[in-house]
Amino acid sequence: MSNARVLEATALKKSFGDIHAVRGVTFHIEVGETYGLLGPNGAGKTTSISMVSGLLQRDGGEVLLDGESMTTRSLGPKQNVGLVPQDLAIYPDLTARENLRFFGQLYSMPKAELTKRVDEVLEVVGLADRADDRSSEYSGGMKRRLNIGIGLLHRPKLLVLDEPTVGVDPQSRNAILESVEHLSSEGMAVLYTTHYMEEAERLCNRVGIIDQGEIKAEGTRRQLVELVGQQDLIRISATGVPDAALEDLRRLGGVDSVSPADGTLELLVSDAGALLPEAMRVLGSHQASVSAVSVQEPDLEAVFLHLTGKALRD
Amino acid sequence: MRHAWTIAKNDLSLRARDRSIYIIGLVAPLALAFIFNAVFGGGISDVGETITFEVGIANVDQGPIGAAFEDVIDSIASDGLLEVTTFDSAQAARSAADDGTVGAAFILPEGLSDAVLGGADATIEVVGNVDAPTTTQVASSISEQFGIGVRTANLSVATAMASGALSPEEAFAAAGEAGTADPAIEVGSVEAASRQLDSAAYFVAGLSIFFLFFIAGMSITSMLEERREGTLSRLLAAPIKRQSIVAGKSLASILIGLASMTVLVIVSSLIMGADWGPPVGVAMLIVGAVLAVTALMIAVGSFAKTPEQAGNLQSIVAVTLGMLGGTFVPIAQEGFLAKLSLITPNAWFIRGLGDLTGGGISAALPAVFVLLAIALVAGSIGLIIAGRSLRL
Repeated sequence: MSNARVLEATALKKSFGDIHAVRGVTFHIEVGETYGLLGPNGAGKTTSISMVSGLLQRDGGEVLLDGESMTTRSLGPKQNVGLVPQDLAIYPDLTARENLRFFGQLYSMPKAELTKRVDEVLEVVGLADRADDRSSEYSGGMKRRLNIGIGLLHRPKLLVLDEPTVGVDPQSRNAILESVEHLSSEGMAVLYTTHYMEEAERLCNRVGIIDQGEIKAEGTRRQLVELVGQQDLIRISATGVPDAALEDLRRLGGVDSVSPADGTLELLVSDAGALLPEAMRVLGSHQASVSAVSVQEPDLEAVFLHLTGKALRD
Repeated sequence: MRHAWTIAKNDLSLRARDRSIYIIGLVAPLALAFIFNAVFGGGISDVGETITFEVGIANVDQGPIGAAFEDVIDSIASDGLLEVTTFDSAQAARSAADDGTVGAAFILPEGLSDAVLGGADATIEVVGNVDAPTTTQVASSISEQFGIGVRTANLSVATAMASGALSPEEAFAAAGEAGTADPAIEVGSVEAASRQLDSAAYFVAGLSIFFLFFIAGMSITSMLEERREGTLSRLLAAPIKRQSIVAGKSLASILIGLASMTVLVIVSSLIMGADWGPPVGVAMLIVGAVLAVTALMIAVGSFAKTPEQAGNLQSIVAVTLGMLGGTFVPIAQEGFLAKLSLITPNAWFIRGLGDLTGGGISAALPAVFVLLAIALVAGSIGLIIAGRSLRL
């Protein structure tokens, strides 16, 4: 096992009566990596992370947290996990500061460190100015941010976020996503479950597409897209494009086709990010006038559709 | 233990903000105790006070048996247990019983002595007022016991005559003497037993332990509420033992229960003049009661899946044990109900307090031990079940 792996989940299985909620889920997360479990409701995301967090006894498989086996009765591995449940898990009659202090004490944080860390987290989640108000008086977005703050209070090696933006307004949602990006940039490993394709694409270094308790495919967004053979589409609005320019574009590596139509060129390419500068250089060398460029990449929604035969929100 | 204390502190903080705890723990038991004491106090069991039953007697017999009965009644009246009014006729006695002038009336019919001494059946009639069932019961018991005494004497005389030891004349005289001899009945003192609480302490004790059930019930309902509110997942995900969660919740209930009972004892002493007995003994009984009731409520509540289910189960148990244990009305000292009441911590708590006031701390120790035993057994069962059911 690589030392860089914070989490290694292998062949996780869980059944509830006759319902096989999770059937052999395997994935790992490395330091500083954000791993997404993308799937519709009922796919097995929450059950999987409940086993990873030591909330739920697994029927089979293994979970290693920083090399230590995680079970429902493990104490050491739990110290390394920060859980942000899907449902708000805060005490509405307590203030944000009191909520943070209480959960910090459960993680045996020394008093002085806890006091300091509570202030830091309140700043991170943007609740410093409302820290001493009862959380029942907060907006939904503020409660969500407090929910996340509690999870990261004790500086866990792995932050587990279970659909943290469900039911949140766009502004708060963006703030939450920015917080996750910030934490990831600081080196925290993040396990993020969502059924929002855009969130998985924005946040996650790697994504596991999960459905009916199984991971159907896993990899970076690019790897997943390539897995199903889809390509990027570059649209360039340009005038004065000679045929020679079109030929030069077709000769670029990674370009499958170039289709001129009504002042617009459509290029089907394997990697728009890598090819776009080259395409612009070719057009420039032929004195073509470019007025607009857009890139349409195949998204995870399409990948999910391809893998499961249904849409994410089905 | 540190984490259990952290959870207990958090629970205490939350419950302090939920003001209903003050109502359940202090206001309700005290207010009800005031009311109960005002309504029932003094008529049931005041130490040193004697209950007096008002009876009437119409002795139309005028023979030795009637005279003997009057002597018996006078003897009991001289102990202050009866207040006797004499009537000239059976009708006057009946009327007095009907209109409530007396609680019950004895009517000794004409020819009673002749019938009894002649070996025939005879009856002492007891007429009771419908609103004085206890007096009527006491009057019936007295006449019944007197009847037994007379029958015994008659049997002895008849046996002596059959053996030739007595002539008919001697037998008649002997029978008359038997009727006027010391009464065959022993009416026990109805004075309240020396080992019994005064009414104020009795009602505060009963009601405080009754409401203690609801305070103790919060330990489990709080856990079930945490499951519903989602915070239980955070507790389970934290690096703490699961037993710490149950222990922390229980500890909070125990502390609130102890505080509630202590305040009630002090307040009732100061305001209602309740006499609780030696403070150390009272403290021991309170600790035993709080532990026993908390353990019982954990055991009962651990079978529930939702806070509502737990609340319903616990209410049923609290009311049932409260009734059986004498929370609302005193349970008879003997009989099936008295035995049944001993399965309740309520009865042991009240009995322990009574023993404490009458016999000191050592007299209350059996009750303390029983309460602790209930706590141990119910607590063990409850913690195992609650621990196992502690999941999302």
